[in-house]
Amino acid sequence: MIFSAPLVYSLLMVVVASILLLLEGKWKFVCTFFFVYLTAGFFFDFVKNLDIGTSGTIILASLFLMYRIMPACAVLYYVITTTKVNEFLACMSRMHVSNKVTIPLIVMIRFFPTVYDESRAIGNAMRMRGIRLFSLRTLKSPVAFLEYRLVPLLVSVTKIGDELSIAAVTRGLSAETKRTCVATIGFRWVDAVVIAYCVAVVLFYVIPGLTGNLPSV
Amino acid sequence: MRTTGKKSSNTLVRDLVNVGIFGALYLVLSGLGASIGFIPAFIVVSTCIVSLVTSVPLFLFFSKVERPLLCCVLLCMLFGIVMTVSGHGISFGLLCVIYGVLAGLCLKLFHKNFVGCLLANVMISFVPSSMMIPLWSSTEEYLAYCSSICDKAYIAHLAELSSSYWPLIGLFGFGAAGAVVGGFIARRMMKKHFERIGLAQ
Repeated sequence: MIFSAPLVYSLLMVVVASILLLLEGKWKFVCTFFFVYLTAGFFFDFVKNLDIGTSGTIILASLFLMYRIMPACAVLYYVITTTKVNEFLACMSRMHVSNKVTIPLIVMIRFFPTVYDESRAIGNAMRMRGIRLFSLRTLKSPVAFLEYRLVPLLVSVTKIGDELSIAAVTRGLSAETKRTCVATIGFRWVDAVVIAYCVAVVLFYVIPGLTGNLPSV
Repeated sequence: MRTTGKKSSNTLVRDLVNVGIFGALYLVLSGLGASIGFIPAFIVVSTCIVSLVTSVPLFLFFSKVERPLLCCVLLCMLFGIVMTVSGHGISFGLLCVIYGVLAGLCLKLFHKNFVGCLLANVMISFVPSSMMIPLWSSTEEYLAYCSSICDKAYIAHLAELSSSYWPLIGLFGFGAAGAVVGGFIARRMMKKHFERIGLAQ
């Protein structure tokens, strides 16, 4: 089964993420996000009707990423920027989610920017030595290109990972007792309002009789 | 010094951190490799590219973890969760867990030797291959979904692929072939780089 809700529901969900980000004073991010989101949504149908072959598919896929995946990324950005790692762990622990799921998840979310930064730095170093993706040398030996780009990235990422696990163990992440947290974590009426709104939007999508007034864009 | 056979909880944390790191790396590399599938002629071969690119990180991951079954299941489960959130069905998430269990069992049975790692790599290579199963299992729904993100020529090519089961076998076959070739390349790279600097045993 593939999920593909109409754009109007995505817009209804985007409003929640935008309000939450505005409350945190991130108006610059919200403005840029809305500009990119609405521009991508506006140009999507236009490019789709052009029918320009493979390049059209690549542009469409990029636009699709912008207006379908970006809302989820905005929520992720809100979670990452406003939640400290220890609070996230304590929160998950309160929700009875096992550490075996929480730790890889938080490490993975936090690691995407690191992978990007490391890869960019290695890319710059390789360009200085004339190793590029679009060159005759790469065409002749693609495995060598893979080796030059992938091995330094893996070495650097593995070392960062080892340091991270040492830091985590030092801070008592491996302790088998129940964790305590200084921050007060709880489920308040604001959380209930946000969840009720999100559930209502999903219900409007799932139950066909309720969607009478909403356009199926 | 440990005297019991029980593994330390410190190594569990190290394994979980490794799952997170290699999960992020696997997602990024498989996304980059799969992007070649936007060219209609390369749809079937894209799984081979993904397996080739992800083999080296996966071999390093296999050599670093102490609990192969748990770590493989978690790695595949994380990939499944991300894919389910981004629009693929729950059934794909369940398939990911099954592949993770099979990969973990391969590593456990063969004690993380080259054959075990190769088999586990082949099992994990089926994860990206399975992403296109809905094209054959629920063709109309999948084509309707794709028509919202791709141009008409691409949809026509997908419809042509869905008329026979050979492309599906090709997806899995190329994925497995890529994993085997990638495995041999990974073994060479492990000996040449990672074992020399002490990052892998």
